[in-house]
Amino acid sequence: MRFLPEGELAGLLAALSQEAEVWAPARRPNGVVEFQKWEPGTAVELAVLLARQAPKEMVFPQTETYLGYRYLMACPAVRPETPEEAKLELEGEGGEVVAVSPSVSHQLLVVEDVGGSSPTRADVAGVELPGTGARVIFGLRPCDARGFAQMDNVFGGYGGFYFDPYYNARREVTTLVAVACANPRSTCFCRAVGGSPSGTEAVDLLLTEVDGGFGAEAVSERGQRILDYAGFREARAEEEQAVAAAHARAEEAVEAPFELEGVRENLRANFEDARWHDLALRCISCGTCTYVCPSCYCFNINDEMVEGRGERFRCWDNCFNPGYTLETSGHNPRDAKAARFRNRFSHKFWYYPEKYDSLLCSGCGRCIMHCPTRIDIREVIRTMGAPAAELPARAEEE
Amino acid sequence: MPNTGDMPVPESPAKTRLTFSEVQVGAGIPRAGKAAGNPYLPEIATIVEIIQETPNIKSFRVRFDDDLLQAAFAFKPGQVGQLGVLGMGEATFAINSSPSERSYVQFSVMQAGEVTIGLHCLNEGDKVGVRAPMGRGFPVEEWKGRNLVYIMGGIGAAALRATILYTLEHREDYGSITILYGARTPVDLTYQYDIAEWESRRDIDAVITVDAPFPGWEGRVGMVPMVLEELAPKPENTIAVCCGPPIMIKFTLQALQRLEFPNEQVYTTLEKRMKCGIGICGRCNVGSKYVCVDGPVFSLAELKELPDEL
Repeated sequence: MRFLPEGELAGLLAALSQEAEVWAPARRPNGVVEFQKWEPGTAVELAVLLARQAPKEMVFPQTETYLGYRYLMACPAVRPETPEEAKLELEGEGGEVVAVSPSVSHQLLVVEDVGGSSPTRADVAGVELPGTGARVIFGLRPCDARGFAQMDNVFGGYGGFYFDPYYNARREVTTLVAVACANPRSTCFCRAVGGSPSGTEAVDLLLTEVDGGFGAEAVSERGQRILDYAGFREARAEEEQAVAAAHARAEEAVEAPFELEGVRENLRANFEDARWHDLALRCISCGTCTYVCPSCYCFNINDEMVEGRGERFRCWDNCFNPGYTLETSGHNPRDAKAARFRNRFSHKFWYYPEKYDSLLCSGCGRCIMHCPTRIDIREVIRTMGAPAAELPARAEEE
Repeated sequence: MPNTGDMPVPESPAKTRLTFSEVQVGAGIPRAGKAAGNPYLPEIATIVEIIQETPNIKSFRVRFDDDLLQAAFAFKPGQVGQLGVLGMGEATFAINSSPSERSYVQFSVMQAGEVTIGLHCLNEGDKVGVRAPMGRGFPVEEWKGRNLVYIMGGIGAAALRATILYTLEHREDYGSITILYGARTPVDLTYQYDIAEWESRRDIDAVITVDAPFPGWEGRVGMVPMVLEELAPKPENTIAVCCGPPIMIKFTLQALQRLEFPNEQVYTTLEKRMKCGIGICGRCNVGSKYVCVDGPVFSLAELKELPDEL
């Protein structure tokens, strides 16, 4: 095990930021701790266990424009007079013209590749995308890192599914330096979902805070390379013991509020159970739980056009929104709030596991902390994930 | 996933992440030209012909601007595509030209929402964005040697037309073929040009019906499920394929049950609100199945396994 004396932390971050953009949890003037771009002088905030939001937007931005286009009306009286002229003009601006067609509508459609994160064929062949240079996310927790592992399954093209070029362009150049949790919160339940406060899934380098500095264990080759920084030294025996003790202490502090075994089968059996309505009653469909979640990944795709210039973008969506599944005909397969509510938990503990043989929850507890109506995922799984026979009787049935 | 239109079969999750280079070599996402490796970018295509099928349904015949792509474009009957107008968005439509048609790809669109209104405003020569083919088509190979009964209502014919054309082109591979097609009124019958041919062919049975008597209509009158029971196809060695509005599907499935069709011999194709079309964005799920990649075609037996959330 290597050891990073406390005084070397800023030096390490400075060294990392020479080669990559470093993001770390830091306190904003309003007191909220969020992942921010680290610059010399930024104080890393590790005392607050979890940043308000999981760092998933580092690889999966809230809004991402991937296609730009513009329509022009070629008009002899006004510039551009002809489609050819318009094409020249656009190319002069640096836009790559994909299609130009004067049609019977006299409208000219020009499709441009927008810069930023739009991979083109060249990018897929391995050329670095602008704006997606190497990144290090420092100070995320093992549960946050596990969220990445869970999203990787979805976006990574496993088992013949599609490979998402946008997500992977960023994920491929992202290094995760996690810090093990010293003081888990009452809302933490990583152990119930197979995680640990010192878990290493998707982590490149795991640091553990002890007196005087951080014990450091590389999990991947990338993590190993970080250990080359001169500030690391070999850990002393008592430091290694302190790290092990810290891990054990944290492990003990996390409760396991439900049994995972049988949850999937029971969710299936309880699909039509009326208790879903009871649990969903106080939900206000705000979607906060999905936005703060390290593994919720569902998104929407939309077009927006202003004065002939348009963009196609994707942005985070949430399955509590009634419009999420509303069809043009007016039919909505999940028009009841309880059905939408059921979908989120079933997705995490039944649908996703059936597809990817893993869970879509890492037990960070952010949804519990941030829910304005105090809906508790542990309670939901305890209730709906239990065998039907063991479910408590409903109030109105008593 | 090679461009065979096969259903992607999830294997056990890999332990390490795939990289760009591996994907290029291995998975081979079925996109050509500009959008190679990027399933989100639409291919630009030009509308070459518009057919006004009914007062509110138009068929668009489109040709990819990339000639190589147009020449290489292959799909399985029953597969769908995302057809869109840049600026208005995309929506999912069944590809309903014959898989053997090389000069264009046809989609039929009922004017209903934002994207479809945008499409209906277009003229021949205008540009659309297409992402296709997507999803799992009908298992026409497995059906070889069996009798086929197509049961369609209204715009539902769009979802089955490619399959009908395919099986008619390979007529010798199948037993008897029955096409039962109904609409509210004669005006709402799409593909009049096909109907004329189907009715004139002696090697298939085409039954066209409308819901209620209509001035000038001398053909059959009656709702599709009732006409189906009158026709009473035998379930032995027969596949029933149905598509139409939900209410028609509901009563058709009941009729098929009375006719003693086993669930494994009944197929339908589902519709859901879709966005990405590639099994990622998460909205078209029924249980753990995504209609966009695991469907849209399902046998009734497969549907019975899924949670009741259609």
